[in-house]
Amino acid sequence: MRLADARALLPDLVTEAGEPQADCRLIETIAGWCDRYTPWVAIDPLGGALAEDIETACSAGGFGGDAGLLLDVTGCTHLFGEGESGERALLADLVMRLARRDLSCRAAMADTAGAAWALARFAERQADLHCPARGQRDALASLPVEGLRLDPPTMETFLKLGLRRIGDLYPMPRAPLVRRFGELPLNRLDQALGALAEPIEPRRIPPAFRTRLAFAEPIGRAEDIAAATSRLLAALCHQFEQAGVGARRLEIALYRVDGSVDRTSIGTSRPNRDNPKLMKLFEERLDELDPGFGVELMILSAPEVEAWSGTQDALPDQESPGIASGVDGTIDLADRLALRLGAGNVVRLLTRDSHLPERVQIAAPVSSKPAATGAWRRAADLKGARPTRLLQRPEPVEVTAFVPDDPPSVFRWRRHAHRIVRADGPERIANEWWRPRSDGTHPPAGILPPVRDYYRVEDDDGGRFWLFRDGPYQLAANGQPTARWFLHGFCA
Amino acid sequence: MPVISPSAFASPDPRAANDLAALVPAALREKVRRLERANSIQRSGKAAAVPVGIPAIDVLLPEGGLLTGALHEIEAGPGPSGRVAPHDGAALGFTAHLLGRFGPGTILWCRRPTGRFDAAPYAPALSAWFDPARLLMVTAQRDEDLFWAMEEGLRCPGIAAVLGETRAADPTAGRRLSLAAEKNGVPALLLRAQPAPPQSVCATRWRVASAASASMPGLTDVGAARWRLELRRNRFGTPSAAETPSWLLEWNDETHCLAVVPQALHGSPSARFQERLVG
Repeated sequence: MRLADARALLPDLVTEAGEPQADCRLIETIAGWCDRYTPWVAIDPLGGALAEDIETACSAGGFGGDAGLLLDVTGCTHLFGEGESGERALLADLVMRLARRDLSCRAAMADTAGAAWALARFAERQADLHCPARGQRDALASLPVEGLRLDPPTMETFLKLGLRRIGDLYPMPRAPLVRRFGELPLNRLDQALGALAEPIEPRRIPPAFRTRLAFAEPIGRAEDIAAATSRLLAALCHQFEQAGVGARRLEIALYRVDGSVDRTSIGTSRPNRDNPKLMKLFEERLDELDPGFGVELMILSAPEVEAWSGTQDALPDQESPGIASGVDGTIDLADRLALRLGAGNVVRLLTRDSHLPERVQIAAPVSSKPAATGAWRRAADLKGARPTRLLQRPEPVEVTAFVPDDPPSVFRWRRHAHRIVRADGPERIANEWWRPRSDGTHPPAGILPPVRDYYRVEDDDGGRFWLFRDGPYQLAANGQPTARWFLHGFCA
Repeated sequence: MPVISPSAFASPDPRAANDLAALVPAALREKVRRLERANSIQRSGKAAAVPVGIPAIDVLLPEGGLLTGALHEIEAGPGPSGRVAPHDGAALGFTAHLLGRFGPGTILWCRRPTGRFDAAPYAPALSAWFDPARLLMVTAQRDEDLFWAMEEGLRCPGIAAVLGETRAADPTAGRRLSLAAEKNGVPALLLRAQPAPPQSVCATRWRVASAASASMPGLTDVGAARWRLELRRNRFGTPSAAETPSWLLEWNDETHCLAVVPQALHGSPSARFQERLVG
């Protein structure tokens, strides 16, 4: 029905503009909240208003609300009770908690996602919302065919043909149906009945290692949260030991009483399952968590794990006696520093085979393999004298040179003139022609790449600098030879 | 070992009891400190000091070298013209030389980038003094973070030395670093690009300025790097005849050897320059 028609029927109709993005955010929030029941939560891709492509939106999208969430609660219901009663308790708990937040919903549980989808939207009696194990064939028989998640044209044809109930399709011969409607309707039917697998793609990849702790009374004090974290960590480290892995990243999530979730994570640079060390890392982060009005559930998960190499740690690494071995606690130190200062601010230096001075040294994460012993020395020995400090980007300087190809006699940097007394050079360093230019193109053949002529100079105050001339001298418009000079580093 | 308890010096006068430092003779306080130091070094099981490598300097230092469990400060000083150089190349070179003496193990290098004109240490040149594969580089945006990172490093058993590059002179942070260094027997070094007011409780404070190098006769090439080194504070060492002992050092880039330039070869840079112009 269009808005104008509705207004004609009911003149004092209250209208609100639709906010699809706000709806999406709300659904995201609810999906995050549903992590309390299972890590395997997906937002229904066929939900009418939420479907990205309106063509794929299912005809039944408009029934009983547009948005849908799919939860795979396999193996999770025992937390609420044994067997079927646990399943019913979980459903009741879910509806009750959402109702407390003024969110009306219909939740159904069945062996297959398709059956649950249909039941949640079209089941007539409350008791039908929970479908017993392997009971979906009977439960679906009386539901309208809209429950099969079909596209609107197929839907209309079905209705014209008098196929109104899902049960009407059961006795139909399959081959003519496929010829007439394609494979989709029968596939949907098979998925709903469990004859065809239908994987649910979770919103967040569920971590393989996960522990949870629910509280009878909401907690809010920092010490309580730390104590709970410590307990969760102990349980998780035990899981790690059984599986022979160590954590690279750990995430803790606080489920607050108001339904929101606060998360924080820590990272380590090598697989770790040392409870006290991980706890120390968490202690840095726990202050950032906001318990709000209270926390009713905490979940600690390990989204990234790696095979544990603990037995090898005890042996000294002959090749790289530096940080790599990690026996001496430097890796743990690096983790602690990286947590507070940011991972990009704790690095080790690796050497790269390049002629350009600024490309030789690269900062790499601590977890990377360090340069071999003596690699730096060998690289440095092949080249001329290098500065002890290198400017991040060369700074332009004004120079005075008597003879174009000579080192300058005076250079001016940051408003101070340095009279040059001694100079070494030039050391000519050409751009690497085998690398593309900054815009991604390669210089055309036959054109020489730009070169820099480096000079090591000493001013009358004993300061030693590393200067370069960018390209050869060229004649400017006024006939004067010009060249651009830069300061690139400071020598010892 | 005699036990000296503070109560032994307590006087009936309550005001004087608070002012313990004034009551105890300086020599006695020094003795107590040395005993404490010897004790803490023994506990850490590390060498008490590492020689700088220059006999003339090592003679003045306690235990014949730089104390491992102590804070050392290196600052860039003014050049011959009296102007502080715009960069601390010489001080950095001397610091790298000192870092190369401590080892083996990881060197924690903490620095605060100085904005747009930031000049980061360049490992190919540093490889002359130590293997840059040993470096763990830490960048901190605030001085508090920098001092915190240094303290954390001092507590770590695998760290050979901790270096902090900062302009901040924070007496409390200096005291904390000094205590952490003493407790763990790991040297802490502070490198300043500018001379700072002497506030912290460092064991040694060095001032390094670049000096004119010596060219080959008749040439104007840059010779081996020369540094004017001053030992401005030497807390536990032997007093020297001069108030601030000073040396002219030469770093030979080819033999990787740091040595004092013999007095006979000294000469003011301007005189040498004149000489060169005439020649």
